[in-house]
Amino acid sequence: MTARSTAGPLLLALILAVATACEDDPVAPIDDDEEELPVSAPLPVVGHGLVPERYTAEVAIHGSWAYTSSWSSRAGNPGNKVVVWNIVGDQPVAADSLIVPFASTTGDVQVSDDGALLMVATERTGGSVMLYDLQANATRPPLITRYTSPATNPGVHTAKFGRVGGTLYAFLSIDPLNTSEGSIAAALVILDLSDPAAPVEVLVRTMGQPFVHDVFVRDGILFTALWDAGLTLWDIGGGGLGGTPADPVQIGNVLTEGGNVHNVWWYHDALTGEQRYAFVGEEEVGGAIGFNSGGDLHVVDVSDMANPVEVAFYHVPGAGAHNFDVDEQNGVLYAAFYNGGVRALDVRGDLSACGAEQRAADGRCDLKLMEREAGVGLADVSPVAVWGVQHRGTRVWASDMVSGLYVLDVSALRR
Amino acid sequence: MPHGRITHARWPAAAPPARRPRALRLALAALTLATSTTGAAAQNHAHAPPADAPPTGALLHLGASATGLLTRAAPALAGRTFTEGYLTQPVLTAAASLAGGRLSATGMLNLEGLTLRRGELTAGMWGEGYVDRRHPHTYLHELVLSGRAPVAGGSASLSVGRGFAPFGTDDPMARPFVKFPLNHHLAQLPERVLASAAWARGPVVAEAGLFTGAEPRSPEDVGGLDGFGRSWAARLTALPRPGIELQVSTARVAADQRIRGIALDHRKHSASARASVPLLGGAAYGLAEWARTSEHEEGRRVYTFESVLGEAALRRGAWGGALRFERSTRPEEERLSDPFRTPYPHADAHLVGVTRWLVVSGRAEHNRGVGPLRATPFVEASWQTVAELTGSIYDPVEQYGRADQWHLSVGLTLGAGMRHARMGRYGAARTEGHAHAP
Repeated sequence: MTARSTAGPLLLALILAVATACEDDPVAPIDDDEEELPVSAPLPVVGHGLVPERYTAEVAIHGSWAYTSSWSSRAGNPGNKVVVWNIVGDQPVAADSLIVPFASTTGDVQVSDDGALLMVATERTGGSVMLYDLQANATRPPLITRYTSPATNPGVHTAKFGRVGGTLYAFLSIDPLNTSEGSIAAALVILDLSDPAAPVEVLVRTMGQPFVHDVFVRDGILFTALWDAGLTLWDIGGGGLGGTPADPVQIGNVLTEGGNVHNVWWYHDALTGEQRYAFVGEEEVGGAIGFNSGGDLHVVDVSDMANPVEVAFYHVPGAGAHNFDVDEQNGVLYAAFYNGGVRALDVRGDLSACGAEQRAADGRCDLKLMEREAGVGLADVSPVAVWGVQHRGTRVWASDMVSGLYVLDVSALRR
Repeated sequence: MPHGRITHARWPAAAPPARRPRALRLALAALTLATSTTGAAAQNHAHAPPADAPPTGALLHLGASATGLLTRAAPALAGRTFTEGYLTQPVLTAAASLAGGRLSATGMLNLEGLTLRRGELTAGMWGEGYVDRRHPHTYLHELVLSGRAPVAGGSASLSVGRGFAPFGTDDPMARPFVKFPLNHHLAQLPERVLASAAWARGPVVAEAGLFTGAEPRSPEDVGGLDGFGRSWAARLTALPRPGIELQVSTARVAADQRIRGIALDHRKHSASARASVPLLGGAAYGLAEWARTSEHEEGRRVYTFESVLGEAALRRGAWGGALRFERSTRPEEERLSDPFRTPYPHADAHLVGVTRWLVVSGRAEHNRGVGPLRATPFVEASWQTVAELTGSIYDPVEQYGRADQWHLSVGLTLGAGMRHARMGRYGAARTEGHAHAP
């Protein structure tokens, strides 16, 4: 073979190689080295807004504003206040507040997916939800309506928005009622918010053992946190079983280890499209808030919704899980852990695949041993009791029952 | 006198008037309905009935008493001083004896549901949804029927009804102070539907009982049989010397099955020494007690609360005085829009904190008779200080304004007819002794 005869094929191969390299892949190749998150990186505090006169509860974010609710009574002040924070800068500035009449606790607060509504749950003095108009005024939103009914008595413990088939609904977890005349079990109440000024009660259903504590709604699937009755998945329009918000049809249930199912998040990975995992918060009975708490974060594989199975867990010694928010672009779950501060977990990829040395005796994978703990915030603050977290961009806002609202820098956790 | 059979010092008579008006004498007679019996019951019983219970031979005795009370608490909440008035412990009491004492009944109606619905300012006190206020008792505070017979050289009894489980010490209503100690829910188990057995021989009394675990939810709550038998208590009492009483007891209280929410099982322990003896020409009383309650969920210990209390009283002539020291821990829980109330039960599962209270109290009283009435004006004062023990988010200085507080109470107790006896012991377990109450 001559040099001329070999140069032709080489040139062709080179041209093909260059042409192939210049093509845009429909899915970018994953570079494992670049995607890797740090392990247990400290999440620095960059801002701190103070609420010394009340115990702060949940936090919700909407654009340049954050809303924090309040709990119980502190120094004689009931938990009837929602603080409105300007969060344009790192230092949150209390811009205004809402005082909710006839409420001892406003434990849950949430913003609707279209940013139009702020919902605040009230407890104990007859339960209700307050619906405020954020479009009219985000700083001092006017009250649209206060919804209360016999079904919301004695209190709405948590309230979540969920959109099903284009219609916005509110999902209210109602406290059980105990009186000398008898007891009424906890219940889930669903409101149709097509007209927020006139909510329509479409479902009142007893559930939970002893509570229905919280819900998560996505793609027509309702996840209910039923304490010792575990996590139940319902078709309310997306499960193919004919369920609706007015008539949910149960798809499956799982009893996670330890019970006490407190809250849940069904994770959709924005990069891979995977929808395999639901994360469950367990709130263990016992402890003194700010000093100690208990309860793991549980990972449930819901790829077969009729037969969900727990595959992994995350444990913080001396601290227990509370509410979550997930950065689905970067595959990072942020969890409030009361006195354990804020924990960030790398939840991208297969959480059920681990070595023998990374498994608990019952076979579940231990996310801590898998080095999935990507970041830790507020661990050096005492006392601290983180109730809720919200993530946007490179910041996480963490509501601290003791002091108010922390802002953490999580730019290290972007991929 | 057999060993352990006590002839304790009687309280000095309440200054009887030389001559009572006829109408008052009739009223007094109406409160004391007595018929003649043989007194065999007392002979069969290792311990004479308490002097304030119906004397041997009485069929039915009735009594009534109430206390008007003015309390000033500084600070009571967030630095503010509260002054409040009450009609507290308005009670009607009854005791009956039949069949030569082999059958007996004791009962108390408590009307605090009418007079004390918001509770009585008592910093540190908690229970049944009240905090820093003592809750009103149920209307039917006690109604217990007992049957007694000689068994194995002693006296045995069976008692059924609603009252005190055989655990701990006397109800504070039957003790010197009107203001309750903080440890009421650690040291007694009142207002339960119960069935208990007792056996007394010589200086020893043994008791065991089954009862309902549920605490009352309101003054109207007469309780039911739900959960009866899932809770039990046992108490052993020794009477080594006249006027001296030692007890140890334990109880397992099953979580209230009626509650929709989180309810915990309780394991309780108590030990105490009680004295009721003549001293300095008067009548002296003393009590030292320790009590502990640990709360469990599915067998796992979740919380433990503990109390040490000592109190002493002396009455000489018409005057009396008392001192009390207490060191108790309590749970701090979520509070409602009324900061003196807590939800029952919690929707969540944590305490806000655990506090320890040191309380020193003093009391002075003057006992006198006004016709058929016993009248006891008194003054009570207490100083208390509170500290959070766990490092939780709860700060008692935020709650009260200061860690230390003063309470001052003045009041007048009026009573007629039978004094209520020591509360919490039935049938053969009724050791001798007065209620050391006004």
